[in-house]
Amino acid sequence: MSAVSSSSAALQPAAPKVLSARYMAWYRFSRNPAAVIGAFIVTSVILIAVFAPLIAPYAEHVGSVVNFRARHLPPDLEYLAGTDKVGRDILSRTIFGFRISLLLVIGVLGVSVPIGTILGLVSGYAGGMTERVITGLTNIMLALPPLVMALAIGNVLEPNLTNAMISVTLLWWTWHARLVYRVTRTVASEDYIEAARLSGASHMHILFREILPNCVAVISVKTTLDAAYVILFGASLSFLGLGVKPPTPDLGSMVADGRQYLPDMWWGVLTPGFAIFYATLGFNLLGDGLRDMFDVEA
Amino acid sequence: MTLGYVELCARRLVGFALVLLVLSLMTFVLARVVPGDPARMALGPSATPEQVAALQVEMGFDKPLPEQYLLYLGNAVKGDFGKSLVTGRPVTEEIMSFLPATLELVIVTICIIICVAIPLGVITARYRNSWIDSLGRVFSLTGVTMPSFLFAILLQMLAATYFPQWPILGRVDHTLGFQASITGFMTLDALLCLRFDVFFSAVQHLVFPAIALSMSGIGQITRITRSAMIEHQRRDHTLTLRSFGVPQRVITFRYLLKLSSIAPITILGLEFAALIGNAFVVEMVFSWGGFASYGLEAILQKDLNAVMAVVMVAGIFFIVANLVIDIILALLDPRLRFKEAK
Amino acid sequence: MLLDVKDLNLSFRTYGQTRHILKGVNLQIPEGGRVALIGETGSGKSVTSKAILGTLPDTARITSGQILFDSEDILQKKAEAREKMKGTAFSIIMQDPLSSFNPVFRIGQHLEDVLRYADIRLGEVTNHEDRIRRIDEVLQMVQLGDPERVRKAYPAQLSGGMRQRVLIALALLHQPRLLIADEPGTALDVTIQDEILNLINRLVDENGLSLLMITHNLGVVRQTADDVYVMRFGEIVEHGPIGSIFRAPKQAYTQQLVEAIPALYGERVKEQPQVEVLEGEKPVIEVEDVSKIFESRRFLRGKSEFKAVQNVSFDVFRGEVFGLAGESGSGKTTMARMIMGIMEASTGSITIDGHTRGLWNKDKDLRKKIQIIYQNPGTSLNPKRTVRQTLSVPLKALGYDAQKIDARIRELLNYVELPEHYMSAYAHELSGGQKQRVAIARAIAAEPEIIILDEPTSALDVSVQASVIKLLQRLRDELGLTYLFISHDLSLMRNFCSRIAIMRKGQLVEQGTVRDVFENPKHDYTRTLISAIPVMTEEEEQQKPEVSAEVRAQFLV
Repeated sequence: MSAVSSSSAALQPAAPKVLSARYMAWYRFSRNPAAVIGAFIVTSVILIAVFAPLIAPYAEHVGSVVNFRARHLPPDLEYLAGTDKVGRDILSRTIFGFRISLLLVIGVLGVSVPIGTILGLVSGYAGGMTERVITGLTNIMLALPPLVMALAIGNVLEPNLTNAMISVTLLWWTWHARLVYRVTRTVASEDYIEAARLSGASHMHILFREILPNCVAVISVKTTLDAAYVILFGASLSFLGLGVKPPTPDLGSMVADGRQYLPDMWWGVLTPGFAIFYATLGFNLLGDGLRDMFDVEA
Repeated sequence: MTLGYVELCARRLVGFALVLLVLSLMTFVLARVVPGDPARMALGPSATPEQVAALQVEMGFDKPLPEQYLLYLGNAVKGDFGKSLVTGRPVTEEIMSFLPATLELVIVTICIIICVAIPLGVITARYRNSWIDSLGRVFSLTGVTMPSFLFAILLQMLAATYFPQWPILGRVDHTLGFQASITGFMTLDALLCLRFDVFFSAVQHLVFPAIALSMSGIGQITRITRSAMIEHQRRDHTLTLRSFGVPQRVITFRYLLKLSSIAPITILGLEFAALIGNAFVVEMVFSWGGFASYGLEAILQKDLNAVMAVVMVAGIFFIVANLVIDIILALLDPRLRFKEAK
Repeated sequence: MLLDVKDLNLSFRTYGQTRHILKGVNLQIPEGGRVALIGETGSGKSVTSKAILGTLPDTARITSGQILFDSEDILQKKAEAREKMKGTAFSIIMQDPLSSFNPVFRIGQHLEDVLRYADIRLGEVTNHEDRIRRIDEVLQMVQLGDPERVRKAYPAQLSGGMRQRVLIALALLHQPRLLIADEPGTALDVTIQDEILNLINRLVDENGLSLLMITHNLGVVRQTADDVYVMRFGEIVEHGPIGSIFRAPKQAYTQQLVEAIPALYGERVKEQPQVEVLEGEKPVIEVEDVSKIFESRRFLRGKSEFKAVQNVSFDVFRGEVFGLAGESGSGKTTMARMIMGIMEASTGSITIDGHTRGLWNKDKDLRKKIQIIYQNPGTSLNPKRTVRQTLSVPLKALGYDAQKIDARIRELLNYVELPEHYMSAYAHELSGGQKQRVAIARAIAAEPEIIILDEPTSALDVSVQASVIKLLQRLRDELGLTYLFISHDLSLMRNFCSRIAIMRKGQLVEQGTVRDVFENPKHDYTRTLISAIPVMTEEEEQQKPEVSAEVRAQFLV
């Protein structure tokens, strides 16, 4: 930055100072309280998930503990969020529930983001038949109601976490492919791509060194926002009965369990429900903040 | 220009036919990779091997896969998705009896989304960075982040606590003894039969499920409308009108509104798939007894014929909705018409 | 004085920093006067007009100063009273004809709303028919012959020139006393721009308006103003009557601006020498009877054809600067892309240095020989890559190893007169001119023999433009390059090219040495084109070819 102003200073005495892109991005992010809160929430969710055994007051309640004398206890000092139908501490189970949610996020996005990115890059750059086939496929996938498909696939296989992950992943890449395709199309038509081609760069170089860096901002925003949707989606799936097998705690199925005892034993729904909301809110706020910061549309 | 319209529609129809074709292939493959034997499933564990074999022949499972697919496709085009493996009744018939309930819910939901989200987006953009904007933002963010089932449950709890008289399950008060047998839409049929008590009850029943189902859409559409408004507010064409003293309210509610509704309506089309998915959850919570409940049941029972039909119908749902949206967009945006006509 | 801007200070607050944008601006426009405000990008000239109009963005704040209109300070007026002046006391002719209209509303709607609300503010009651009648009158006044069709059209359905006329009509709906024109016609072709300027001049004359012309083009200033204010970095650096500013500028900056304008005729023309062609020497680029037809197959409509280039032939010899001139849609860029091998010719042949031109990726030998420099510095460098990374691509392709690459990059930066530490800079840290220098370095890094210059300076300010052109000339001499220069800027071509070909609608209408073409243009189109170029002096104006109105009309779309 300083280099520019000093050299142009010789030519143009009163040239106004140009703000660096990094400064502007940081300014946008730090002046956005929602984004900072989002970053805080996401960090806390990750920390809770990682250190769940240390934080949870009754870590053993994650398993199939049964304590009928303590069933359906309202929140008190001993059980801060009350107990469920077999007397397990809801707070401890909720804390461990974050683990499953994050596991799902990592599993789904860890596979679908790279796949979607590569398909989007290739279809946007290659054009022709490749482009038509891949975009056609993504458009068709978009016509499928994701929850219905995930339910159908997951259930046809066998309802458990891995299959839920697989079924969600099978559908999720399309959104990334679409997004990266759109960005790639724009970038690929820029003069600098043609210039690189004409100066002898290989296709690999152009895809991964020239185009991909221009997609990073969009991908990271989309991935952050998607983390929220995956959590939501996973919760919906397990709420409907497709997800981890009991007794492993999962936020969605905890809500489903608690629902049976409404409205009297409201705490069974409230804590896991709030936990889902907390995590999705965090990722959403952070994603929005990043979007403003990078000034991209995702 | 009229040619532009015709061409636009024709192109979309061809595209959609293609989508349906691939969709049918996918559901077919999905149904055929299932471990286990549908014929045995349909007949139950007490059936003899001869009975199973006979049913397999009847269902066409003895033929090679491509032929099976063509058979399935041919029947599907005629609207025949085979018989339910659980109830033994034709799947199409069953779906048709459940579909209107969901359609009614979804149509009301979309109306709510449009009527709430677009004005809210416009207002929050107009009063950007004020408390109205903050409030709107919290509201739309809640819509986006809160799972539909949680909304549904919270609404039920709220109703049970504060309005104990308000119905929270089903489509209509059964003691009224009314069957929606004309269009299948409870509200419409009640009006057609001049049963205003039924109509009132049906509307009461609709309120909470529709709200629960619309929240996520409202959140999305509000945000998109708001950012489109802000974006267009910055553009030169707004500056032109401002330079000549056209009042801000005219700029906002005439010029910017029309231009800024293009993006949210486009997104609404894509949101449709998610909406149908959420309908599964909401119908379950409110015991709505519609297409989605039927689909969920079919999936949980591995009623393959029904599952295939449900996915296909959901796809058709999505496609028809997007066709309608494409036409609306072409009406809104002349540029889409010129592009086709050039 | 109709308008008197006194010591206007204005700052913008963005990203937590306050930036002083206008520094004590003084500007006076007498009743019926024609004043030009000139300056380069970022000088604050548009902000000044917005401050007068009252359309500043929310981030701007006027810190001190007065804007007196009819001796009344409009900054002290209530919002309502200021609003009332818009479109009636003063009007603006917007700059960009396409983006200045809301794309989903008809032109007529824009016009009627502007008219209607101004009427309401003035307390006049009008009805729809009455307004339509008045709008049609004004549209006729700006020479739009079929007002009804214009009103019913959507913005995208009109040509750029027509939209620019509508923008003028918009400003004239209520006979304003002061007309502000913000770079009118800049985005349009030179022939249309000329028409637009003539129109504005005539309307100002006939209606006795005062004019504030905001522009970066000094030629435009000569045509439309009597008084000139030169602005730079938010300050008025010089002002005075047009004659003295142009003939004897006092400030170095103004001098630099004036000198940077290429001359069309007279002593200031820098004649480029003709390249000596040896007996039997083959041209380095031979274009023979080349046509390019774009076919599109349309659903329900069958095939349609568009002839982008038709039967074009020309030769370029080693060491020449060959100019290919034409307005938008002339096919000059398509021609360049065929020579690059990015597109294939439909018929005819292109020979480069004795090799038949194929598609570039099939032709490794030729690929190295030709490079291109693009028009827009903003898009010719990858924003995510440093100068070093950008420049190393062609070097790697040539087989340099890491150490040699670094040394060579230093050498290249020296060639294009950039300091070596720019190696680690990203595109956004460079100015437009610096980006173009990097693009030039990238092109010569591939060690080409021919460089295609696709309007390399049209996006740059005149002063920067001159230095880039100087650099290109030096490189040609030092490296023995041949240039194919594509441009619509004929006055620049007059001073930079040795030979020139003029294209129109895919056809080559005239070619020859620059001197012949400019001093003795044969084709009517060439004559029209040259006569439309804004020039700096009356003498040059006299030397332009004369073109009758009928001939000119024939070439206006």
